Amino acid sequence: MSRESDIRLGTGEAPVAPPQTPKKINWAWLGVIPFFLFAIFFLFLPSATIFIRSFEAPDGSFTFENIISLFTKADIVNAYQASLSISVITALAGAIFGFLLAYAVVLGGLPAGIRTFLTTFSGVASNFAGVPLAFAFIATMGNAGLVTRWMETVLGFDIHATGFTIYNIWGLSIVYMYFQFPLMVLIMAPALDGLRREWREACENLGGSTAHYWRYVAFPILMPTLLGTMILLFGNAFGAYATAYAFAGSFINLVTILIGAQIQGDVLFNPGLGNALALGMIVIMLISMIGYAYMQRRAARWTR
Amino acid sequence: MTTSEKRPMSRRDFLKLSMAAGFSAWLASCAPKAAETGELPVTMSMDDLVAGATKEGELTTIALPHDWANYGEIIETFKSKYNMKVNELDPNAGSADELAAIEANKESRGPQAPDVVDIGVGHTANAMTKGLLGAYKVSTWDSIEMKDPDGYWWAEYYGVLAFEVSKPAIENTPQDWEDLLKPEYKGKVAMAGAVDKSNEAVQTVMAAGLSRSGGDIEKAPEMGLQFWKEMNDAGNFIPVIADIGPISQGETPLAIQWDYLGLANRDKLAGNPEIEVVVPKTGVIAGPYAGGISAYAPHPYAARLWWEFVMSDEGQNLYLKGYAHPIRFNDMASRGVVPQEMLDRLPPAENYAKATFLTVEQLQVANKYIVENWRKVVLGEG
Amino acid sequence: MRDRPPIAPTATVKAIVETPVKTWKRVRKFNLWSWIILGIGLIYFFLPLLATFEFSLRAIKGRYSLEAYRIAFSDPAFFRSFGLSMLWAILTIIITLLLVLPTAYWVHLRLPRLRPAVEFVTLMPFVVPAVVLVFGFIRMYGRYTFMVSIPILLIAGYIVLSLPYMFRAVDAGLRAIDVRTLTEAAQSLGASWPTIIFRVIFPNLRVAILSGVFLTFAIVMGEFTFANLLVWPAFGPYMELLGAKEAYAPQALAVVSFLLTWGSIGLLARIGRGAPGQGQIAGAR
Repeated sequence: MSRESDIRLGTGEAPVAPPQTPKKINWAWLGVIPFFLFAIFFLFLPSATIFIRSFEAPDGSFTFENIISLFTKADIVNAYQASLSISVITALAGAIFGFLLAYAVVLGGLPAGIRTFLTTFSGVASNFAGVPLAFAFIATMGNAGLVTRWMETVLGFDIHATGFTIYNIWGLSIVYMYFQFPLMVLIMAPALDGLRREWREACENLGGSTAHYWRYVAFPILMPTLLGTMILLFGNAFGAYATAYAFAGSFINLVTILIGAQIQGDVLFNPGLGNALALGMIVIMLISMIGYAYMQRRAARWTR
Repeated sequence: MTTSEKRPMSRRDFLKLSMAAGFSAWLASCAPKAAETGELPVTMSMDDLVAGATKEGELTTIALPHDWANYGEIIETFKSKYNMKVNELDPNAGSADELAAIEANKESRGPQAPDVVDIGVGHTANAMTKGLLGAYKVSTWDSIEMKDPDGYWWAEYYGVLAFEVSKPAIENTPQDWEDLLKPEYKGKVAMAGAVDKSNEAVQTVMAAGLSRSGGDIEKAPEMGLQFWKEMNDAGNFIPVIADIGPISQGETPLAIQWDYLGLANRDKLAGNPEIEVVVPKTGVIAGPYAGGISAYAPHPYAARLWWEFVMSDEGQNLYLKGYAHPIRFNDMASRGVVPQEMLDRLPPAENYAKATFLTVEQLQVANKYIVENWRKVVLGEG
Repeated sequence: MRDRPPIAPTATVKAIVETPVKTWKRVRKFNLWSWIILGIGLIYFFLPLLATFEFSLRAIKGRYSLEAYRIAFSDPAFFRSFGLSMLWAILTIIITLLLVLPTAYWVHLRLPRLRPAVEFVTLMPFVVPAVVLVFGFIRMYGRYTFMVSIPILLIAGYIVLSLPYMFRAVDAGLRAIDVRTLTEAAQSLGASWPTIIFRVIFPNLRVAILSGVFLTFAIVMGEFTFANLLVWPAFGPYMELLGAKEAYAPQALAVVSFLLTWGSIGLLARIGRGAPGQGQIAGAR
C-alpha cells in the first residue's frame, strides 16, 4: 500500500542512529502514537477499500483493467494533466501573491489592525469553496455578472462579444485562488514573524542591499515553510471538486470530477475505476511528497 | 535534520503497517452477508402491511427533495395517513449515492440505511446485479407500464425534457431543438448537470439526437453529440450547471430540465424572473424514475406500505400535482380519476403523446456511447 | 538613529550615517507597495462577495430588498444547525490540537526521520475522496451504535479533514522559533517537561496555532459530505438543502454565514491573543 512504499523512500544512505538515551525515545514516541493510531483507524483503514476496490470490475470480479485504463484512456490521461496543471499553477501563483500579501501586512509597514483583518478574513475565505464560490464568480464575471453588466452600462464595452469566457481552466484557476491566497497568508504570516529584525539590520550593517537580504538570509530561512505551504496549496487544489463542478462541470475534465462521476453519478457506475482514479491521485501525491521531502532536506540543511 | 532523516522507517512503523495490511486483508475477505432471513412475500394484504408498519413506526427515505415531483406533499400525506415517522436522508443524493447507501449499511441497519429508493431506470441493472433490492408487487401492479417482471423495481413517474426559458432575458421562446442553434441564444443555453455525472444531461444529448434522427433511437446518440458540438462551436452552450441559482441570477436563461422541475421552478420564482416551460416539438424523451425496496431495509413493512401508497391513485395524483406524469397515467385517465384542474396545469397533452420511452438496455447503450464520446466530439479533445 | 553627532566622515562612518535615511526611504517604498498589494487583494476578495450580496438583494422583482435575509433568518433550523456546527468545530479544534501539537513538536525536536510519515498522513486527506472515507467509516464502525448515536465518526472525519492545515500551521510556527535552543535553555534552567511545553514553547506558537484554529473552524462550519452521509444536522447540509429548494435565500445565507464565521474567528483571535503585552519571546518583530 502507499504507506509501505513510503518506508523505502528517502533512504539512500546507511542508517545512522542519532545519539539518544532510551528514556527520551520513549517520551517522544508516546507523543506521536496517538497521532498515528488516529491516522490508522480513521484514515488508512477506512481508505483501504480504495486500494482493494481499484481491482474490482463492475461485475465484482478481479481485474487490472482499471489501473491500465489510467494510462491508456485519453479522457483519464487528460484529466490527470488538467488536474496537475491547475494544481501547480494555483500553487505557484497562490504562493507568490499570498506571500506578497502576507509580507505586506506583517512586514510592509501597514497598520496592525489590517493584519488581524486579513488573517481573520483568510480564515473564512480559505474555506469558501464549492457552489457558493462558483456562484460568486459567475455572478461577478459571468455573462450576466455584476462586472460584465457594469462594463456594458458604464464603459459601453461588451467583454463577451470578443469571445472572452471565464469557463475554462484559466477562469477556474482564478476561482481557485480565492482559497489559495488566504491559505498562504495564514501559514506564512507567523513564519514571517520569525524573521528577526536583527538579521535585517546585521545584513545592512555589513553593506548588504535588500536583494542580498532576501537572497541570502530571508528566503533560505523561509524556504522550508514556503515549500511546505506550496505542497499544501498543491494538495488543496488537486483534491478540489465541488467548485470545479458547479463552475464548468461539463467542460473541465479533472480527476476529482471523474471520480465523482463514477462513484456518485447518475449515469456511470464503475466504482472500481473511481477507486483506481483515487489511487492514482494518492500515488501522485506520494511522488510530489518525495520531491518535496528532498527539497525540504536541502533547504533545511543549513539551519541545523 | 541531516542523515538521520534518511533512515528507513523504524520497526514500530513497520508493525503498524503490517497491522494495517492485515486489517485490510480481513476487510477484503468480508463477503457481503446473505439477504435478510424471513423475506416477506411478493404480495401482501393492506391490513398486514399497516399492522406491521405501525409496529415499526418509521420509514427511512433517501434522495427525495420536497420540491421534486411534489415529494414534500407525498411524504407529509403518508405521515399523517398512516401515523408514521419518516426519516429523510440526503435529499440531494444521486442514484449511485442511494445504492451506495444501501450497500454501505448492509450490516448496520441504523438510521443511515434507506428503506426505499427512487433511482434512474438506468441504475436498476446495477442494483439488481448487486442484489440490493427486495421484490414486491403492489396491488396496482398490473397497470404499471414499466417494471421488472419479478417485482424488483417499477417506474413511478416520468417527465419529459423541456426548455426552461427565463423572460425577459430570452425574447423569442424556442420551440424545438434546432431553434437553440440560433445566434440570438449565444452564451445562454445550459444543461442541468455534467454529461458524465447527470442522467438529465445525458438525456438532453439523447433528446436532441432523437429530434435530428427523426425518432431513430440507434442513430440518436451520435446525432445528439453532433448537435451539441454545433452548439458549443457556435458559443451558444455554456458549461454552467443550470440550477435554480444560476437560472434566477440570469446566467443560464435557457436551461434544459425535466418539465416538472422547470414548472416547479416557475412556481417557486413567482415571476422573479418569469419562467416559461416549453416541451420541444420533436425529440421528446421521457425520463422515468424507478422505485424499489432495499433488500436490507430496517423497516420492511413500512417500505412496502409506502409503495402501496405511492403507487395508488391517491399517490399518483400527488405526483401529477407536482407536474410529473404518474406512470399509471393512462390507466387512471381512462377510468376518469384524474382531476381536470390538474390536467389543465400541465403543458398541452399532445407533446407528451410523442414521448419516447427507452428500455433499460437502450438507455445503457445510449448512455455509454454519449459519455464515452462527449469530450471527443463536442469539446474536440483527443 | 537619525540624531547622530557630526563626525569626520570616514567611509564606514558615512555608511553608518547614510543607513538610517536609506532604511527610512525603503520603509516608505514598501509602504506604497504594501498598500497596492493590499488593494489588489481586497478588490479580488470582495468583488465576488459583493456580487453575491447584490444578487441576494434581488429577491423582490424590480427593487432591492432584504426579503431573502428575512426568509433565511425566519428558519429556526438555521440557528440550530449553525450552533451545532460551532460546537463541533470547537471539539474538533481541541482534539486536533491535542493530536498535532505533540506530534509536530516531537518530530521537530527528536524524531526528524518520522517527518516523511507524518507529512504523508497530513497530505492524504486531500486525495482520499470524502465520500470514500465516510463509507469506509460506516462499513467499519457503523455496527457499533455508540459510534452512530454520538457524533464520534463525524468529529473524526472533521479531524481528518483539518489535519493538513493544522499540522502545516504548527510546523511553520515551530520553524519560526528556535525550538531546540528554547528547549535546551529551559531544561538547563531546570524546567520540567510540562513547564517547557506549556510555558515556554506554546506561548511562542500562539500565532501559528491560531492560524490552524481559524482554518479548522472554517472547515468544520462549511463541511458537507460527512455531516450529510452520517446524517447529522450540521450547517453544511442545511445550506445545501436551502440551496436546492430556494432562490435568493441561499445567497443571502452565504453572505450571512461568511460574516458570522468571520466574526467567530475574530472572537477566537481575541481570545487567543490573551492578555495584552504578552508578546512572543522568540521570533518577535
